[in-house]
Amino acid sequence: MTEMAGKVRLYMSMSVDGFITGPDDGPDQGLGVNGERLHAWLRAGGVDPVSHRPTGGGVNAEVFDEMMATGAVVTGRRTFDHAGGWAGDHHDGVPVFVLTRSVPDEPPPGHVRYVTDARSGVALAREAAGGRDVMTHGAAAAMACLAVGQLDELELHVLPVLLGQGRRLFDGLPPGQVELELLRSREGPGVLHLRYRVLGGSRS
Amino acid sequence: MSSIRVDMTISLDGYVAGPDDGPDAPLGAGGFRLFNWLDKRNDSGPSGEVFAESLATRALISGRRTYELAGRWGGDHHNGVPIFVLTRKMPDETPPGTVRYVTDVAECAELARAAVGDGAAMVHGAGAAQALLRAGELDELELHVVPVLLGGGRRLFDHLAAEHVELDLVRQVRTREVDDPGQHVLHLRYRIRPS
Repeated sequence: MTEMAGKVRLYMSMSVDGFITGPDDGPDQGLGVNGERLHAWLRAGGVDPVSHRPTGGGVNAEVFDEMMATGAVVTGRRTFDHAGGWAGDHHDGVPVFVLTRSVPDEPPPGHVRYVTDARSGVALAREAAGGRDVMTHGAAAAMACLAVGQLDELELHVLPVLLGQGRRLFDGLPPGQVELELLRSREGPGVLHLRYRVLGGSRS
Repeated sequence: MSSIRVDMTISLDGYVAGPDDGPDAPLGAGGFRLFNWLDKRNDSGPSGEVFAESLATRALISGRRTYELAGRWGGDHHNGVPIFVLTRKMPDETPPGTVRYVTDVAECAELARAAVGDGAAMVHGAGAAQALLRAGELDELELHVVPVLLGGGRRLFDHLAAEHVELDLVRQVRTREVDDPGQHVLHLRYRIRPS
């Protein structure tokens, strides 16, 4: 990887107790029961109905713009299915790589491509992004990228709420510690954006 | 007005101890990593200031498990403040030092509030924190978030009902100027909104 290469960065909204959905998430309710609370920060100061960009500028709009400036998406099959596949276009027609155990028979929609291996999925995404950052989305995809040492950063939108139950972001990691470094901490209306770099290895 | 405040060090993935914690390894496998930031507790920097606030609390509420694993703090956690230990079963022996055993969560909170006046009581241990949270008796969270993923262990937030508890972030303290990355930590204080 050259100096100019983009980062592979997880973007996730998470409650203080570590949940990225409420209970019973599924195709009919991607964020689970009452999980929409996790996306409240995107609407806190008003939202553009077409672009979904938070209106009124500020930190939340800047973080949203950074997300939308990524040049490829890596996601897991569950997140993809629960989001209706974003109708084949997550944002701006950038390539979307969906990690899946078994490739579906039907052709993928729009800009989507199915991949069965996290390492090659990330390699394809890095190449497709052409120097821009790569967005990773979903717990399983993030943990898969982390497990093969291919996750560079985490951008967590931490919502000031305890959900109590739901799907956790950090679950099913292989044993062993992963060291991180807090790169920045930005407070927007109703949310704290924390960016960590993955250092890997164990320090203890 | 009194405040009951959880004061806990957690990994970014939410653990207060590593895997397989028990009497022989109170912090679980690799759990000592969480407390490197305390090397700075007596410094004048941000972690020192935050730690001084912890020591300024006027009572301690702890779960029985944490209390026993910590060797009962010899009966004195800090400055001889009252220690209320939540336990399911009242022990037969007399408690050491300033310790008092309590079996009822609401009673425990009431006793602590009476003890601290308009100050704060510190809550230690995931079990006690969860019990107080479920009972609606928590006012604040002071989370010392360590930049590490432990990958497993004992979670601070667990066994809670699927009911949203709304918070307000009232303070964040970073430790940018600390040289050793192993001693970095993010101190987050949240106020719990009354339901």
